[in-house]
Amino acid sequence: MNILISFLLAILSSMLIDNVVLSRFYGICPFLGVSRKVKSSLGMGVAVVFVIVLATVICWPLYNFVLVPAGIPFMDTVAYILVIASLVQLVGLFIKKYSPSLYKSLGIYLPLITTNCAVLGVAQGNTDQGLNFLSSLANGIGTSVGFLLIIVVFSCIRVRLESSNVPKAFKGLPIALIVAAIMAIAFMGLQGLFSGIQL
Amino acid sequence: MEILWAVLILLGIGLLLGLGLAIAAKVLHVKEDERIDEVAKRLPNYNCGSCGYAGCKGLAEAIVTGKEENLRKCKPGKEDANFKPIIEYLDQHPNEDGTKVKVHL
Repeated sequence: MNILISFLLAILSSMLIDNVVLSRFYGICPFLGVSRKVKSSLGMGVAVVFVIVLATVICWPLYNFVLVPAGIPFMDTVAYILVIASLVQLVGLFIKKYSPSLYKSLGIYLPLITTNCAVLGVAQGNTDQGLNFLSSLANGIGTSVGFLLIIVVFSCIRVRLESSNVPKAFKGLPIALIVAAIMAIAFMGLQGLFSGIQL
Repeated sequence: MEILWAVLILLGIGLLLGLGLAIAAKVLHVKEDERIDEVAKRLPNYNCGSCGYAGCKGLAEAIVTGKEENLRKCKPGKEDANFKPIIEYLDQHPNEDGTKVKVHL
């Protein structure tokens, strides 16, 4: 198969079928924390896309060309966290300069991208599964865009939930969790669409 | 030997990333009113949030930009230790157009 098509299919696969939030429960903290407004969830999603894609691009060569030749592949988690933390700092500086209002609305969740397990999960998963660079890149892009898609869709639903008549016991977070569960079930319907893409 | 390499390589990575961040911080520097930091220094810095702002820095910003005039909003602040030094500092450092920042107890 054409390499470009399989690249796009790999992105779609990790974006929709293996969506990290709904099928592996990575990154639930910002998913629930920053999804109250559409605008801030969009900002959060874009920040996470930036961090995950760059972390993938940096961590894969770091593992294969530095840590493995030096005989210290066991240091991978520490090295990845180092890279991710600095990337998050960079994103923070960038947002503070160009969008102070977004910086305010993201608040504590911005530095917490460092501890968003989706980021480390992608970087670690890529090297643990022994993927090549192109597959890793596809996985990174797909996962992060999947996160962006889900958090924006979820925040759109939550905005509507605010104004709808919800039983008192379910107001706020409980109904949001139920909605997330229904979304996870809906996305399970995409399972088996296509699988086993080799790059 | 492995441990030595691990330490050295991580040190190298850290150094490189730190350098990159230092450059980025210079390039993406946001010019802030220096009086905000000075006022924040004179607040109790418990970051308790009982003033209704996000931490002491938030209140300091509101005071300097004129959004907040009542220093008593800061619940844990003491008159002698916090409020008087702030009033004195803002008295000596007026706005650029010469008007004074309005604060009271």
